[in-house]
Amino acid sequence: MSTQMSGAVEKQTWRSPRRHFVAQNSPVLLSVVILVVALTAYYFLYYRQLGALPDSFDLTTIVDNALPLVFVGLGQTVVVVTRGLDLSVGGVLSISVALAATQMGHGVGIVGWSLAILLIGALAGLANGVLVAYARLAPILVTLATLSIFDGLAIMLLPKPGGRIPTVLTNVLTNPNRPYGLVFLILALLIWFVLRRSSYGVALFATGNDETAATANGINVRRTKLWAYAISGVCAAAGGLFFAARTTSGDAGAGTPFVLTSITAVFLGGASLFGGRASAYGTTCGAVVLTLIVNVLFFAHVNQLYQSLYEGLLLVIAVVLGLVVGRLARRQA
Amino acid sequence: MSDRLTLEQRPAAALKWVSTPDRRKVVFAWLAVLVLFVVGGLVKSGFASGHSISTILVVASFTGYVATGQMFVILIGGIDLSIPWVLNAGAILLVTSSLGHDSSAAQAVLLTLGLGLVVGLVNGLGVGYLGISAVVMTLAMNGIMQGAALGLTNGLTCSRCTASTPPVVHKAVLGAPLGIPNDLLLWLGVTALVTFVLSATVFGRRVYALGNNEQASFLAGVNVKVVTVVLYMLSGLFAALAGITLTAYGGQPTLGLGDPYLLQSVAAVVIGGVSILGGRGLFLGAVAGAIILTTLVTLLQALNMPDYGRDIVYGAVILAILLLYGRERDLG
Repeated sequence: MSTQMSGAVEKQTWRSPRRHFVAQNSPVLLSVVILVVALTAYYFLYYRQLGALPDSFDLTTIVDNALPLVFVGLGQTVVVVTRGLDLSVGGVLSISVALAATQMGHGVGIVGWSLAILLIGALAGLANGVLVAYARLAPILVTLATLSIFDGLAIMLLPKPGGRIPTVLTNVLTNPNRPYGLVFLILALLIWFVLRRSSYGVALFATGNDETAATANGINVRRTKLWAYAISGVCAAAGGLFFAARTTSGDAGAGTPFVLTSITAVFLGGASLFGGRASAYGTTCGAVVLTLIVNVLFFAHVNQLYQSLYEGLLLVIAVVLGLVVGRLARRQA
Repeated sequence: MSDRLTLEQRPAAALKWVSTPDRRKVVFAWLAVLVLFVVGGLVKSGFASGHSISTILVVASFTGYVATGQMFVILIGGIDLSIPWVLNAGAILLVTSSLGHDSSAAQAVLLTLGLGLVVGLVNGLGVGYLGISAVVMTLAMNGIMQGAALGLTNGLTCSRCTASTPPVVHKAVLGAPLGIPNDLLLWLGVTALVTFVLSATVFGRRVYALGNNEQASFLAGVNVKVVTVVLYMLSGLFAALAGITLTAYGGQPTLGLGDPYLLQSVAAVVIGGVSILGGRGLFLGAVAGAIILTTLVTLLQALNMPDYGRDIVYGAVILAILLLYGRERDLG
């Protein structure tokens, strides 16, 4: 009996390194597959319409267009790991766009204001974090309420679309002629690579997987959650900077679509609804897919107004696929 | 526990009624309504007049309808984020299908309510049968409805989109043959019906049971999936109803008509003392919550608060109420 048991256990735990990697990362790999499909569709439609393949300018533009969503999505990923959700990212992004459009030309200069905007994002996130982690309020309610507050503040700063975004910001963050955007993308993923392996990364995933067990192992669950929301705030503000850089003037409603799209990107990237499982690489794939869709719809002559319909459908499909893959993986184990 | 109470026991009985936290929250919410009107009457003359109150209540009824649907799904620990664009799509469908003609008004109203039911059905199937989280399912549905509404009407520029609400619908909602607007009578009827269904029927018991403990209610014979689907359908139905009444009130649908109602529906329910985790809370509280939100904003507008202030105030009020009694149990 006992030998049989140990044999069965051994059978379960030992896998070849390659199979282990695939089993552990199946949701992320799925997002890579979706990315490849979207890229293929983009190349195919581009070629059919224009008779040439996309050049480096087109690809740089896609990366630049994806960057705001990539950054907002990365912050959302950290929060989703803690089994939370941050709906206020839209409001934070709107505030940073409004600040960039109205303030950046004056006072402490572009670098100073960029840092100030990131700091304001961090403070907004900390407010969410305090309310979720220490006041023990439901994340969705807290961030729904702060979304409303941040949206209001953004409109107060910039009542009508307008203002002016300094061209220097565009040239540095999203220069269409130079692949700076790609550099920032790689930098962001490098930060994740380090963060994931830091003690905070361990605490983050432990908290998301099982709060009680994490606490029992000496992890400060509350502080971990607090910082998760702060990171999300900073990322949303950074997304706002990249968003502002692509436009010449600001709009206080800029952040609204990001509530849906950031969550869609995270779940397209293979995150689990139940926390403890999400990946910046997956989210980045998801964000690029969502950006490609705009181009694909354009080349396929689909009315752009349908965009959120396809985003919504993709979100449902991604989540259902994730649930199916998870169920299959558990059956195999 | 005797049925007959002596004179001395009656106040004690009233105290007993408010002895549960859920009922106390409802009492607090209605006291807040009273305070708001008294304060409003003091700082702005005519604020608490009969006409003013009736106007405020009509505007509050739109929030009341969406809050009714939201309450149903929140009672089972869910949430419906698709309300804004179900409402907006419903409003658009009402005028595009009737083209403002009284003759086709009845079909248009039924069609709009049907749209709400169908969207709710899909939400319910996704949550109940596929196991998708309510937040994700309904957020996606909101996007789907938004894309469909924008795309099909070409951004509300289609030729049919210029039609307005059929006069008969306008009259049915805002007419006042009995002295008070029909809309308020409808809201009163909805309130009575929902209170009855939730507190005195088997279905109501099942809803609370499901909200308290899904597994236990399943073992006790509640058909969890069917109840879930029905509740999301009701939420879609009430969002469509709000779309109809709101278009009757405004005359024509606009894009973004429903956007404020996401926060308002959740806020009204939470202010009314309903637990966001499900299983606790009374419908009368959500009704008070809808009135509180509308009265507060009307009061602030009367005091010349700019539009963006509304967003900030809503958010702050929700947070304040949550801090008062929306806290989750301490797990740490």
